[in-house]
Amino acid sequence: MSKAALVAIVDDDDDVREALSDLVLVLGLECCAFDRAEALLAEFVPGAFDCIVTDARMPGMSGLRLLQRLRDLDASVPVIIITSDADSTIRSRALEGGAHAHLVKPIEARVLVVHLESALAGKWKGSPNG
Amino acid sequence: MANAARQRVPVADQDVEPNADQISWDFGTSAEEYRKLIHYLPVALWQVDTRGVSAPFDRLKAQGVTDIATYLDTHPELVEHAKDVVRVTAVNREAVSLLRGNSAADLVGPVRYVYSSTPDLAKRVMVAHFEGRRNFFEQTRIAAFDGTSVDVLFTVTYATPSQELDTSLLMMIDIGERLKAEAQLRQLQADFTHAARISTLGELATSIAHEVRQPLTAIVTNAETSLRWLAREDVTLPKLKQLTTRIISNARRAGDIVQRIRGMAAKREPGCASLDLNEVVDEALLFVRHDIESWSIDLSARYGTHLPKVTGDRIQLQQVVVNFLVNSIQAITQGSGLARRIELATTVDGDGSVVFCIRDTGPGIADENLERIFDSFFTTKGMGMGIGLAICQSIVVAHGGRITVSNHPDGGAQFRFSLPPGVVDQM
Repeated sequence: MSKAALVAIVDDDDDVREALSDLVLVLGLECCAFDRAEALLAEFVPGAFDCIVTDARMPGMSGLRLLQRLRDLDASVPVIIITSDADSTIRSRALEGGAHAHLVKPIEARVLVVHLESALAGKWKGSPNG
Repeated sequence: MANAARQRVPVADQDVEPNADQISWDFGTSAEEYRKLIHYLPVALWQVDTRGVSAPFDRLKAQGVTDIATYLDTHPELVEHAKDVVRVTAVNREAVSLLRGNSAADLVGPVRYVYSSTPDLAKRVMVAHFEGRRNFFEQTRIAAFDGTSVDVLFTVTYATPSQELDTSLLMMIDIGERLKAEAQLRQLQADFTHAARISTLGELATSIAHEVRQPLTAIVTNAETSLRWLAREDVTLPKLKQLTTRIISNARRAGDIVQRIRGMAAKREPGCASLDLNEVVDEALLFVRHDIESWSIDLSARYGTHLPKVTGDRIQLQQVVVNFLVNSIQAITQGSGLARRIELATTVDGDGSVVFCIRDTGPGIADENLERIFDSFFTTKGMGMGIGLAICQSIVVAHGGRITVSNHPDGGAQFRFSLPPGVVDQM
């Protein structure tokens, strides 16, 4: 069996980060968690992650700026942006900036699964029970 | 206005006998004109003959009594005696009107009726008399003849010993209307504070929604993860226990946030608790943390150690700190400066008071506005409420503290408030 796809979780909130990481793990994916965008960038090399799930608002670098930095680095890694408010400007900026998807907290697992499946395009198939 | 509604009673001129010796200034008028003047003065006047207490006072002085207050505490019978032997000899028409008497005759005679609802007042009047003071005044409530009571400023002017007179002049000024206006003003202020608190909450609504969504997200995600584990064959009890525990702790976290918001919005009389200012500041930060983070503002907080407790209302003081923080955030985000920094600190001042200090790297405050910044409705912000700082000031002053503003020499505004250290016996 080939190596499981690796998903990076970026969220400054400890509880949310833990919960998202465990969800990704139970889905049968590998997971790597960061509490700040800067921490992820420090470790980033193209191809390191198969997908990045990041909070939009964080101290320091925001999720949108992280997306921009990744695109500047010419990385094509799919980025799923999560926000805590249904602010349409963030949504359009995220999608215009090349985000794979924009989700609003609290996130439904089945919705995340759908987006992870399409983001990981063939590298992973979510279980049907959710 | 109350006087107009009250029954006016004609009183004979001879009810008042002004003593020419007591009125040293000279208007070039006759005694008769003085009599009329006093009679129609819009202030209630009593002429009181105090000869009845001269002998007992002389006796006590001869015995070497100096602490008359203590003496009267142990000899209340002397106060009772004085109420009978000290007599009202004349009153003016305003006095009759104020106490709702039928005629001056109701008010002339033993002075006892004046003190019927405030027995201790008689003692204090006697103490001042015995100690040879010129005047006595007190805000009090006097029983009127129709069974109601009247709020008055009660004053007594004693004759000086050199005058060798045994006449005191008692004066009452009706302050019922003033007290009513003051009560209305206080009510208005309480409503105002409440409104300001609610609109501050409105401004912070996004922040609060964000705060609540974090634990909600954790709860939903942990629950979904549990369901997925339950569908797997390798599910373990410790894993489920861990997820369930996280759900509970996040539900508590959400509950705590809701509780704090309710506390912020609750309208109630100022509480009086012994508070740790550091905790108050910490809690206030909860309401703006999100803004500080999303604007990428660098916040540094230096908490003083072993701060004395302060006595006051937790929510109100929190509101002051939140207001300051919101101001600083707005100053920084509306300014063009590159530095985005808020420094706050708590310390103890030289005089023992507890100090909160906040400084931002915003544009600071124009010199001409420094004076007016605490005025109600003063604002330089297009969308500002303008009552934030006025409310802050009234809260701090109500706590016996002081609030100041200045521009930091290195730029940015600097706000500071100090509170007196609280009473320790509440601990």
